[in-house]
Amino acid sequence: MILNYFKIALRNLWKDRTFTFLNVIGLSTAFCAAFLLGMFAIFGLSFDQFHENIGSIYEVYTNSQTAKGTEISNANPIPFAEALKEEVPGVKKITRVANGGPLVTFGEKTLKLDVLWADRDFFDIFSFPVVGGSKINPLQNKSSIAITRTTAQKIFGEMNAVGQTVTMRRDNEDVPFVVSAVIEDIPEASSFQFDAILNFTDLPASFYAANKDRWDAHNHPVYLQLDAETSAAKFEKATAAFSNLHFADDIATAKRDGAKPNSDGEYRQIHLLPFEDISFTDFNSNSSKVNKTLPYLILGIAFLILFIASVNFINMGIAKGSQRLREIGMRKTLGASKGQLFLQFWGESIFVFSLSVFFGGLLALLLLDKFQTLFETKASFALIASPGIVLGLLLSLLLITLIAGGYPALLMSKLDTLLALKGKLQHTGKNKVRDVLMAVQFCIAILLISGTLVLWSQLDFMRTKDLGFNKEQVITLPLNTKKDRAQLLQLLRNALEGKPGIISVTAADNILGLGKDGRSSTIVMGFDYKGREVKTNLLNVDYDYPKTLDIELIQGRAFNKQYASDSLSIVINEAMAKEFGEKDPLSVRFLLNDSIQYSVIGVVKDYNFQGLNKTIEPISYFMNPSSPKYYAFIKVAPNNLSQSYDRVKEVWNTLEPDTEFLGSFLDENIDRTLKEERKMTTMISAGSILAIILSCIGLFAISLLVVNQKRKEIGIRKVVGASTSTITVLLSKQFLKLVVFAFLIATPLSWYLTTQWLQNYAYHINLSVWIFLAAGGIAFVIALATISVRTIQAALQNPVDSLKTE
Amino acid sequence: MITITDLEKYYATEEVRTIALNKLSFKVNEGEFVAIMGPSGCGKSTLLNILGLLDDPDGGSFVFNGIEVAGFNERKRADLRKHNIGFVFQSFNLIDELTVFENVELPLIYTGVKPAERKERVDAVLEKMQIMHRRKHFPQQLSGGQQQRVAVARAVINNPKLILADEPTGNLDSSNGNEVMDLLTELNETGTTIIMVTHSEHDAKYSHRIIRMLDGQKVTENVLSEYISK
Ligand SMILES: Nc1ncnc2c1ncn2[C@@H]1O[C@H](COP(=O)(O)OP(=O)(O)OP(=O)(O)O)[C@@H](O)[C@H]1O
Ligand SMILES: [Mg+2]
Repeated sequence: MILNYFKIALRNLWKDRTFTFLNVIGLSTAFCAAFLLGMFAIFGLSFDQFHENIGSIYEVYTNSQTAKGTEISNANPIPFAEALKEEVPGVKKITRVANGGPLVTFGEKTLKLDVLWADRDFFDIFSFPVVGGSKINPLQNKSSIAITRTTAQKIFGEMNAVGQTVTMRRDNEDVPFVVSAVIEDIPEASSFQFDAILNFTDLPASFYAANKDRWDAHNHPVYLQLDAETSAAKFEKATAAFSNLHFADDIATAKRDGAKPNSDGEYRQIHLLPFEDISFTDFNSNSSKVNKTLPYLILGIAFLILFIASVNFINMGIAKGSQRLREIGMRKTLGASKGQLFLQFWGESIFVFSLSVFFGGLLALLLLDKFQTLFETKASFALIASPGIVLGLLLSLLLITLIAGGYPALLMSKLDTLLALKGKLQHTGKNKVRDVLMAVQFCIAILLISGTLVLWSQLDFMRTKDLGFNKEQVITLPLNTKKDRAQLLQLLRNALEGKPGIISVTAADNILGLGKDGRSSTIVMGFDYKGREVKTNLLNVDYDYPKTLDIELIQGRAFNKQYASDSLSIVINEAMAKEFGEKDPLSVRFLLNDSIQYSVIGVVKDYNFQGLNKTIEPISYFMNPSSPKYYAFIKVAPNNLSQSYDRVKEVWNTLEPDTEFLGSFLDENIDRTLKEERKMTTMISAGSILAIILSCIGLFAISLLVVNQKRKEIGIRKVVGASTSTITVLLSKQFLKLVVFAFLIATPLSWYLTTQWLQNYAYHINLSVWIFLAAGGIAFVIALATISVRTIQAALQNPVDSLKTE
Repeated sequence: MITITDLEKYYATEEVRTIALNKLSFKVNEGEFVAIMGPSGCGKSTLLNILGLLDDPDGGSFVFNGIEVAGFNERKRADLRKHNIGFVFQSFNLIDELTVFENVELPLIYTGVKPAERKERVDAVLEKMQIMHRRKHFPQQLSGGQQQRVAVARAVINNPKLILADEPTGNLDSSNGNEVMDLLTELNETGTTIIMVTHSEHDAKYSHRIIRMLDGQKVTENVLSEYISK
């Protein structure tokens, strides 16, 4: 009997080649997209899951009450971790972690490595297996370094790495480190990515030694593993006394400034963020949002695409069923039971689905490389393959075939024998199901199209918005060097200043946007001004900073070599001026570290020195010649930008032949910060294109059928005098009504969702009706074009031909 | 074999209620060949569908082989049907996607006959119907007469006690029609009961008895002279 089913399935599929082809194409594409998108999303969701202790690992962060509200920080003072473990019960293991990119030298080779500094417990908490050398603990000793397998190969080649000595530039001297262990390469799905790891106490003096006993210098995150018996909530409660003891000064300041205690009556509360959520968490000063939108959005898109393709399958299945009524009737007459008929038709569906899953999978494998490049992801099928995932995949495939293949099969097996024999459909109500499903398809397509348009507009807005500084003409350059930075900067200045195309050179200790070195940092400082605490972002700049970046000076003056006292002067932005609250900001004088008096000498116009998701915060420029400047900023002439870039590169290569030139224009840096947005936009664009194509495949198939069913009607209408255009309209109307209906449903939904999303950005576009009308219009035009292929052809047909076919 | 008493069937469509069968009663004995005649719309097909257990009457009694089957549910009817009754339709109703062999084999599949036996039995029937050489062909590749012979082969493959034929020659020319009628007569001679609906007086002459209907009722019943003489 199975063989009989199989045979008739194949013959039927072959007989309806067009449909089978459309079905397999649509489903294969949908499965391919679903596989790739699903893989991407699961990869994202599987981040850090490889740690054996993942359920009991947390990052420590603190909510502190200030006069302006609650502030959140995950930066802690150096003595914090050890004290926390000793004084609050429940901590099994704890580690401080800092990261950086120092230059490491072995013989002739100098490499810039991504380095972590951590405490011994690091390897007990996290699962980074050691493959060679000190199995016990790679961080046992000071002055030892553990490196990953790939790094070992890069530095030492085939040589045994363990026991070798490398030197690292620290505090302007070369410090030797002995390789204690080689660890397995860091999995792609790890939040920590590093080439080498060192003991935390080996950090530069300015970071570690200078702050060793200070409770007021917050500069690194802390991770801990709790005892099996201790819950995060219980632990958080137990830290109250600890916070009140060690941060008494901060709390006193907060109280004085008028901060209100939180609901538990505390001014400082330590919290634990589950490490599982780290890769989705965005710490900024007033929230620590766990944001899994992207992976779930992508899973959602994958689901919607599969839904659309499945609906096509259902609709074509029902439509095809109506052409097989006599077969169904005859089989029932001969004694086929409902179950047997269901199995037969469902079997045909399973066959088509299996074929599509196969082709879809194949296509996904072929496109994997392109996908990885396009979405800048390391996600691959091998990375996420696990028995659970495979089982889940099989189950969902079975479920999809059961629903999409089973529904038409069920309808057919339930047909009344006699009516089926006569070749009549039981009732016309089935078209309602079809119409609703098609409307939902177009609803999804319009939703995705309008989402795409909104994302595009916002992305374009963020890329082109005037940020208040010149991003087109300024090259940023990380000053990675083994020499003295100040000295290198001076050499750079000498070599560049006055050269054609170079307008001015300056430096600062922070970059704008994201440079080629991939680093960004925020330094926020608080101090007392007239009996209350004020907070500001801090930037150590060199001369000519506002001038080089075209940041407008609206009051006072910038730093000037003529004034020796400028090392005690600051330049602030408007937001900071507001913070001081003085009528004349230039009159502001304040004390830092209780002794040194600084004065404000100039005010610059507000500009977006952080992402556009944030409102402009206060910032203050300091001009301390001894503080290190990590980045040079070089303004070049507007014409011949690339020639000027090459000139800067040339100069760098003569000054620093051993280190890579990482210069980039500021607009590139801004673009680099929009990676997430770009990824999301590409995903949703791809999703909406697929959605509209698949919806139209379904529409095309149904229009084929309807036109076929109406051949006679069309012929008669033409005989009695209907024109081609009235017939085209007649045939198209019923489908276009669905698209209009879908538009009416999709628009408010899309409006709501995109408005929610735009709330993430302090600076965003205003939604206009046109975006939604455009989305609806696009869907309408594409749908019209799709059905016209068949309807116009049918309407043009000689009525004699169409009448003959009946 | 068949006894119907006061059989009734109505069709209710929106406003109008059609009485298709109006207190119809008659008897068919085992081994008989009965023709049913009457003008279009008088309820012949309706009657045949009920006799073939494809449909359920709205009133009256229908005793088949000593069992009252009026009111049987779809499942029970299907079970009785597939073992006892064969159908021949005016429009053949062969499945286009199956070959001649497979079409004839189909009833055996639904009654659960083993493959080896199926092949043997199908071959025997095809041989008898003289379409063995066409066994690999699809219905569209056959003439109308050949198609109807395949349909008859399919109807007899299960050795049913009763064959119901609804205008079996309606779509055929006279020579093909006569061939089919000869086939039915042959079957009847080997003991199969046949009830046939027809518009053709010529075809009706092949039967033993003609039941004439009008508006869902039996009007006359005449036993054919040749039969009496036998
Ligand atoms: N499914 C149905 N719904 C409504 N009325 C029906 C249905 N089937 C048959 N009828 C009506 O029942 C009556 C008897 O129909 P039936 O098909 O039995 O006639 P018939 O004698 O076989 O006619 P013909 O010789 O044309 O085949 C007719 O009036 C017909 O209109
Ligand atoms: Mg009839």
